[in-house]
This record gives sequence, C-alpha cells and structure tokens, in this order.
Amino acid sequence: MVVGDIATGTDVLVIGAGPGGYTAAIRAGQLDLDVTLVEKNAYGGTCLNHGCIPSKAMITAADVAHEAGNAEEMGIHADPAVDMAQMVEWKDSVVDQLTGGVEKLNKANGVNLIEGQAEFADENSVRVGHSGEGQGSESVEFEHAIIATGSRPIEIPGFSFDDEPVLDSRQALALDSVPERLVVIGAGYIGMELSTVFAKLGTDVTVIEMLDSVLPAYESDLTRPVKKRAEELGIDFHFGRTATGWEETDDGIRVSTEAMEEEVAAEADGGAAETFDADNVLVAVGRQPVTDTLNLEAAGIETNDNGFIETDDRARTEKDHIFAVGDVAGEPMLAHKGSKEGEVAAEVIAGEPAALDYQAVPAAVFTDPEIATVGLTEEEAEADGFDPVVGEFPFRASGRALTTGDSEGFVRVVADEESGFILGAQIAGPEASELVAELTLAVEMGATLEDVAATIHTHPTLAEAVMEACENALGQAIHTLNR
Amino acid sequence: MVREFKLPDVGEGVSEGEIVQWLVEEGDTVEEDQPVAEVETDKAVVEVPAPVDGTVRQIRADEGEMVPVGNVIITFDVEGEPVEETTDLEAADAAEADGADAEPAGDEGTETAGEAAETPEGRVFAAPSARRLARELGVDIAEVDGSGPSGRISEHDVRAAADSGGSEPETATAEASESASAAEASAESAGAASGGSTAGGAPQQVESADREKTLAAPATRRLADEEGVDLNAVPATEKRDGEPFVTPEAVREYAQAQQEAQKADTEALGLREEPAEREERTPYRGIRKSIGDQMERSKYSAPHITHHDSVEVTNLVEIRERLKGRAEERGIQLTYMPLIMKAVTAALKDFPMVNSSLDEENEEIVEKNYYNIGVAAATDAGLMVPVVDDVDHKGLLQIASEMNELVQKARDRSIAREEMQGGTFTVTNVGGIGGEYATPIINYPEAGILALGAIEERPVVEDGEVVARHTLPLSLSVDHRLVDGADAARFTNRVKEYLKDPELLLLE
Repeated sequence: MVVGDIATGTDVLVIGAGPGGYTAAIRAGQLDLDVTLVEKNAYGGTCLNHGCIPSKAMITAADVAHEAGNAEEMGIHADPAVDMAQMVEWKDSVVDQLTGGVEKLNKANGVNLIEGQAEFADENSVRVGHSGEGQGSESVEFEHAIIATGSRPIEIPGFSFDDEPVLDSRQALALDSVPERLVVIGAGYIGMELSTVFAKLGTDVTVIEMLDSVLPAYESDLTRPVKKRAEELGIDFHFGRTATGWEETDDGIRVSTEAMEEEVAAEADGGAAETFDADNVLVAVGRQPVTDTLNLEAAGIETNDNGFIETDDRARTEKDHIFAVGDVAGEPMLAHKGSKEGEVAAEVIAGEPAALDYQAVPAAVFTDPEIATVGLTEEEAEADGFDPVVGEFPFRASGRALTTGDSEGFVRVVADEESGFILGAQIAGPEASELVAELTLAVEMGATLEDVAATIHTHPTLAEAVMEACENALGQAIHTLNR
Repeated sequence: MVREFKLPDVGEGVSEGEIVQWLVEEGDTVEEDQPVAEVETDKAVVEVPAPVDGTVRQIRADEGEMVPVGNVIITFDVEGEPVEETTDLEAADAAEADGADAEPAGDEGTETAGEAAETPEGRVFAAPSARRLARELGVDIAEVDGSGPSGRISEHDVRAAADSGGSEPETATAEASESASAAEASAESAGAASGGSTAGGAPQQVESADREKTLAAPATRRLADEEGVDLNAVPATEKRDGEPFVTPEAVREYAQAQQEAQKADTEALGLREEPAEREERTPYRGIRKSIGDQMERSKYSAPHITHHDSVEVTNLVEIRERLKGRAEERGIQLTYMPLIMKAVTAALKDFPMVNSSLDEENEEIVEKNYYNIGVAAATDAGLMVPVVDDVDHKGLLQIASEMNELVQKARDRSIAREEMQGGTFTVTNVGGIGGEYATPIINYPEAGILALGAIEERPVVEDGEVVARHTLPLSLSVDHRLVDGADAARFTNRVKEYLKDPELLLLE
C-alpha cells in the first residue's frame, strides 16, 4: 500500500538511531552535510532504551537496596522494601531524559528525522515504511548511507520471547514485580548482570550455562570474584547444561535442561535431564545483527557467515558509498565501538582523514564486582611477539577500597618489558568500568609504565591501584610486595 | 641522490673496524673503487673503496673510531644525479646537535631513535592525534622514526617525515631540473608535499587556489579524491553562504589542467614516461616478514657451511613398504620422515655438538640432552616448522601421527606458537617438490639442519657395474661456530649408516 509516496534526497542517510547511528548523524551534521536519520521506534536504540542504560539504572537501584540491608557491620540496620513498579518508573524516567536529549541534539545539528523502517530499493535509495494503518511509505535518495541497525537477542529453540514467562533482557528490565524464582539461561555478561540484580532484589536465581564457567570470555582470575559474590547472593549455577524447553506448572513454569557431557550428568541429582521450577526464564545467550529488514540485496551488499556486514578501516562496505557501523558491522558488539565507527563514517564521507585505527576497545561487565578489560592479556601480548611484563595491585591493599567496604579484586597491567609500552589491562573490582579509562588512554597514547607510575594520583582513590599496578610491573610498588 | 656507504664486512667474522685514516675529504671528487679510507680489523688493515663515481658529501666517523660493520661511515652525492638537500639522518644529526646536551661523537652516535625498540609487526606507538595527522599528510606512520620515549611517534615526528618526503616521485622529477637552484628545489618539494600545485618553474602554469575551507557536495569530494586533487586548490567558481563552492566541473577542469601541466613538465625535461605497473609493491609483513626475519637472523648470526652427500636407501624403501600397511591399519600414514627423524636422532646422540646451540649472551655452548626435531612444512602462508618433541623416546607410529597432525595444523594455521618452538634440530624435505641438493638455512638458534632430496632410483656403481638404486641426497648445513666441517661430514656418515641399514636403529 503506497499512500503519498514522496521522494526526497539527502547527502547522508543513516538507518538506525542507536549509539552508532545517532553519533554518525550528529557528526555528519556538524560537518555541514545534509543528513537524514531513520529510526523505527526509539531514538537511542537498544543501548539507551533496552540495554546499557536501563540495566545500569536497575543495577544501581538493586545495589542501594542490597547494601542498605547488608550494612550491619557499619552499624546500619535496615530492612528496605522494594517497590519494583516504582523502580522501573524511575529507570524509565532516566531513559526518557537521555533519549529526549539525543533527539534534541540531532535536531540542533540539523539532522532530518524520519520515523519508520528503511529498506533498500537500489544502490542509491531506500523506501521508508511508516508503522500504523494507512501511514504509507516514502522514498529517500541518498549519496551516502550509513547502516546502523544494531542487533537483537538470539532466540533459542523452545523459548519464544512471545510467551509471557520467557523474557529477553529488555523484558526483564520492565517487569512490574520482582519474580520469586528466575531461571537465567546463559552466564555471559547480560545473564550475569541481570542475575545479580534480581538476586539482590530477593529473587531465587538459577543460572544455566552451556560452558563450564561464568563469563567464559574472560580470564578465570577475573571471573572468580564474580562467581564467589554471586554464590554468596544465593545464585545457583549449573554448568555444562543446555535448556531444552519449558512447560507451565500449577504455580509457575518448569524449565528442562540436558547435560552436555556425561560427567555433568553423573554429578547432577537429576542425571542427564534436570528440571528447574521458576516464575520466569530469562534467555541471555547472545545477540545477532539485524540485517533481515534491510533488503540488502537491492543495494548489492552481502553479509558474512556470521550475519555481519563486512567493513574496511573506513567503516565502508563493499559499496564505497555505503557504510556500516555498530553491532551490524561485527564484534565486539559494544556501544562505544559503534559510536567510534559512526564518527569515522561521517568524517570519511565529509572527506576528513578519519580511520578506524584504534589500538584497543575497552569492555566492561557491570557484575559485582565489575570486570573491565582493554587491549592485550599477557598471553595475547606474547602471541603478538611482545616480551610482556605484568604488574598487579590487589584492592585489599587499597585504602579507598577498604573504606567502601568493597575490596575484592585487583588491577593488572600488561606492558612490553623492553620499551615499557602499556599494551593492556584487566581489572576486577569496585568501579573497574571507570578505572579502565585511564589505562585505555595509556594504551591508545602509547604511554609507558613509567608514564603512569610517575603521574601523581589522588589519594585516597581507587585510581591509585592503577598507578601501583604499573609500579609493581617496574618492581617499585609501595603498597604491595614486588615480584 | 645520496648514496650512504656502510662499513662492509671486510673479513670473515669481523664485526667492527677502526677507521685508521680517511684518504678523502668532504667535497672531494671520487671515482668508483678509489680507496677512501683505511680500516683496521682484528685481522688486517684494509682499504675501503668508494662504491660510486661522485663527490664525498659527509664523513660520518672520526679517525680512530671503532665502527660496527653495517654502520654508515660516509655518504656520496652520486655523479649525474641531482643533489638532495638533506637526508633524514643528517636532519636527525642536526637535531641532535641542536640539543643542549649533544652526545659525544663515537658514543653509539649512530643509533637512531627508530631502532631503539623493536616493535612487533603492525603495531605503532603514537597518540591518536599523531596517527590522524599522518593520514592527513599522507605519511605511512609505520615508516616514521619516533623521537619520544622508547621510540613513540609524536606529531612533530610525523611532520618531519612529511617534510623530508623527498623520495616522492613527483618531487624528484621537479628537482631534476638542473637549472633550479637548491633552494628553489626544496621550496617546490615542500609545495608538492603539502598537496599544492605542481612544479613552480614549469613551462605551464596551472591556476590554483590555496583555501582553508571549501564547500562541495559529497560526490564532488569523492571525484576530487579519485582525481587526486586537493579541493582547497581548485579555483572556486561560485560562492554559497559566503564560502567558496566548488562544482564537479571545476574539479574535472582543474584535474585535467594539472595532468597536462605535469605531462608538459615531463616532456620538457626529456624524461621517459614510465609505463604503468612495471612493478607491484606489497607490504613486507606478517608471516612473510617473520620468516624473513628468522632467515636473516640465522644467516647473519651463524656462519653456515653445507655438506652434501647421498646414501643408497634400498633397505629403507623396503622397510617402509612393509610397515606402511601395518601403519595404515592403525589409521596412520607412514612416510619416510619418521624413519629419517629416528636415524637423525640416533646420530645426534653420537654427535652432541650438532644438537647444541650457542648462548651468545652468556657466551656458553648449550648441549641438549633432549631431541626435539623440527619438520619444515611449506604452507600457503609460507614456511612453518612444527616440532615433534622427544623423538628418542617415541616409536615410529607415534612420531608419524604427531608429525602428521602438526603439519596439518600448520597448513590450516591452527598451530600454536609453542608447537613450533623448542626444537633442537630441523629436517626439511626439499625432495617432496623436486630436486636433489640444497643449501638449507639453519633454524636459528639450532646448530644444524638436514635437507632431504627426492628418494629416486639413480645410477650407483656397485662392484664396477652401474646399477639403478634408490638413493637419497642429503644436504646438511651446520653453524660453523659450533660444528667444524669434519664433524659435519662424520655426522652425515653416521646418518647414512642408519639409513642404509635401518635395522641398526633397533640397537638404539
């Protein structure tokens, strides 16, 4: 149905207003290009509406509730009552403020906003379908396009997100009451962050993971404190199992699982097949790029075996005038990687000498304690041909960490021994996500261990641990024994 | 152009020499092969000849100074080629001399900043701002010498590299004009490097602008990019919002005018136009470079000698034929290689020097009581050497299956670094592809490598008759610092004994 098909033209068409897309649109606007941004439902994309931001709001709220009720040691005796509906309302207000801001920023930078879903008609135009009866569609012709359609949670067989008890991360962040019992499938970062939130709010959480550890992508000494804290919160882990389906019971649902290996089956009470009763099941097994809505063939673009659009170091696809940024352009699926790609794509279109030449993409997991990493691990540095030296500093030796009542974990830096260049860092502990910023700057600038060690760090702060870890690598740490 | 002359390797094993006397002065005209200096090594005093006809530009070492082999001692302006203003090294020297605390001459003054730290392939230590500037100025940042701590590259270093980019072909052409004074030439080169118009003194002038900012549609920018034209240099025909605006037609016109001017320049100078793509350049990096580095290190550190021999292997062929079927029953493909590895290992036990390595740092010889044999494998990506550990403790089938697995992993590039390390001796099968003898390069720091030719029937003299027999050509390279020629021959004889009568291996 075509009602009022209006053709317009634009220098730069951006598809998707998540962190990759809106950043590209704003930067293109700043560079005096004529920009059109198409978004099908919410400015800010997954990150602002259903991912990073709402989850962090819920983590903070759950932490407040949990800490208030567990601070007897500090002489605080409280029994906080949690009103989930109000908590979600507060979270939504944070989201609204941010997404409203994104919309305003786009307009202020001269970006034309179109609501609807874009699909390629040919190499130089898209049709934008508007949702709702009789809304019709319009054509937009473009000189350049930036695809920023992001990703969506992967569904697994037997668990449809359309069924009420089955939740994806987005639905889990919008519940109006705290479930009594929750099964979480997947112990990756989304599964672990949300398990921790619900455990702190009083839910009995059971985590089913196919592999044999929490956060399998990270080094085991980083994840050990996370698993330990999770178990203290009462989270029940079952490794080496896959979830096969669920059924309704009198008072909720029953999730059935199967052991991947015989040894797991032998150890488990229920043998190879084991079931877990719950009110809800959260499926967090990963995310997949969204390309199926785009009609990419019309633009002559193919996806690779993993479903991603391949790009070069200028964020360009195989078509020189079409760019792809963010989750749809490949791993790591992180908002800040997408934003950088968005900026570069816009600058390249404007003829600026921009390129994706970053040395490292930092990553943070907002579990308890947090984990953050950047650059190379010791093993990776060695594989890359460096002769790495490592320095560590445990938070139990940090005065500031002790005063927060949270001194689990450590800071580790990896550097090239001969030159002293900092190559990477791994942090588990309080505010790891903030602390990694300093080391990311160090990696990106080509700073040496001595540069960071010789920089005065405020006392008493957690950031001193970064300085001490660098000193430790030089054999000069003051507050820990040097190796 | 400037020709840098490095102190050559003037005798076997000589690593440095003392400049006894300079026989020329800066500005002197020299002929090729004319002696320019007397250099004393620990073996002799030798005269060092000039490599070219030309004039002495700069003398880089003082009389009485000890200079390592490979260091630049003198530079020449080659006769008949245009004079360059300043070379990188001279600029660096000048910068060093400007510093308040100039290094005393002769105190490793030849080490440039870029050589200070060896950085693995593909990694550049520079701030994002410096990397962006390099892209803007069209400088390959991987080629820039960094002056910061441990060789970190600053914006200043990038600019210096851009300014000294005198090796750009267009610039060289512009400078080739003999009438142009040196000062003019350098001014032109600066103009060309900053993307401005072409040669100033050229017969044809192209009108060009030099704006800070230019408005243009994205398609126009792309066109400019394709044509290699700087938008800010294109004369603007219109204005929009008070800013100069360039149309696609203007870009095309300008590009064409520029090309014509360049062509005219070239013709005026009587230079032949190079046909396109006579050579193709690809970056030297990745596995290709790591193989190259390893070979260079080996060949330049270990003085190689290669011993050639061949052995009649009728028994070996028979035994392998018998065992092959048995191995297949167990799902293992048995080649000659495991048998040869066994024979080599048995011989290594008798000649420990061949299974040793030189610890250069501590000046110690390390004899190894373990026998890890590397097997060189040709892969799509290049040469790789997976290592089978403890061959002396393993049976033929185990060696065969481990080796097959490792070679397969090397081919599909799933092999781990550790699986290619820790070897004590290497065997390489050249004959698989064809040929008889080779001069293999040692897998440094091992002491030896054995290359196998093809096992084929060849004429052999037996009891005065020429008969056809299966023979195996052997080429053994050893590090002469550790193994003398006689020992190399004896070791090869021992390997031959085992290969001729493989039953002897049962005694091992």
